[in-house]
Amino acid sequence: MIHLGKNTTSRIISKGIAAGVSQNTYRGLVTAHRKATNARNFTACDSLLIGDKCGAHTVPYIEAKNSSALFEHEATTSKISEDVLFYCVQRGLSQEEAVGLVVNGFVKDVLQQLPMEFAVEAQKLISISLEGSVG
Amino acid sequence: MTALLQVKNLQVRVEEQEILHGLTLTVNAGEVHAIMGPNGSGKSTLSHVIAGKPGYEVTGGEILFKGEDLLDMAPDVRSAKGVFLAFQYPVEIPGVTTMTFLRTALNAQRKARGEAEYLVPDFLRKVREVAGSLNIPMDMLKRGVNVGFSGGEKKRNEVLQMALFQPSLCILDEMDSGLDIDALRVAADGVNALRSPERAMVVITHYQRLLNYIVPDHVHVMSKGRVVKSGGKELALELEATGYAQYEDVAA
Repeated sequence: MIHLGKNTTSRIISKGIAAGVSQNTYRGLVTAHRKATNARNFTACDSLLIGDKCGAHTVPYIEAKNSSALFEHEATTSKISEDVLFYCVQRGLSQEEAVGLVVNGFVKDVLQQLPMEFAVEAQKLISISLEGSVG
Repeated sequence: MTALLQVKNLQVRVEEQEILHGLTLTVNAGEVHAIMGPNGSGKSTLSHVIAGKPGYEVTGGEILFKGEDLLDMAPDVRSAKGVFLAFQYPVEIPGVTTMTFLRTALNAQRKARGEAEYLVPDFLRKVREVAGSLNIPMDMLKRGVNVGFSGGEKKRNEVLQMALFQPSLCILDEMDSGLDIDALRVAADGVNALRSPERAMVVITHYQRLLNYIVPDHVHVMSKGRVVKSGGKELALELEATGYAQYEDVAA
């Protein structure tokens, strides 16, 4: 994210999912130019872990070349808990359907910004790539 | 007639520690059973094992549901067959609206039973009807599942699901915990409306108070992993007066 003009604001929402033995890393650079006074950025990085052999890493880079810039960063890491899965399964969802539901809820903020065609595809893609990741 | 639920000499371990030491319980359709007992007597363990929560090891005994071996079924299969557990602490699922959750779950159950899935308009009509009878505003169903719900709303959401899924066995795990008197009455009314000759309920509670609202046919007292006394609804009143201490001695 590059801020060049005065009074510019930006927002970054990153949602990362790590399943199996994968590691998920967020790296994001936010800069404010010398003349970009009062530049504002808010960054939220949420990571979701599926299983106990994966990890999430968040590395935010910030380059503020003027002192009036205000950059915020916040990060969360959560795990799909056994309790949530059991709740879904008790209500009749299979283990995989339950994971799919929880994951889609997690990425909803991002997916709903996408155009319809992409959103539907992304949702399917997520459930395909999660197949067999919970055992 | 086979009993709806038969628990025979059930022994359950959690991480090397035996929690239930030979529990026997028979519940017929149309009956409401209350299970009372002090903390740590195994009441919640029993409800979790019936619903199939992972982490419990059944070392002996059996559970039959409508004559079928329940322990052999996956938890979602049990759900489709009509076992419903109302949670003591319903979980939150951020980003998934209650409506989506209800529809996904209901259709998953119907699919498992080989029934046609509900179409959206039919489903909406049904939810509106059930939610209306429980005084649940439709706005609440547009929020994430249990996210930011008050204690009363969470329990009402459980009752809503019960009314929607029409299970044949409802297990209510400490439904009264975290509820004020008004919320308790609303939830209990919802449960009472679901009493029917085809359906059985198992109400787990510490206090007699809940049983004023949901009047049981049978009361069982559990202590240290066993049912130590069974009786009619007057047993609950007796307990309220004398406490659990006498039964702990019996079990020891």
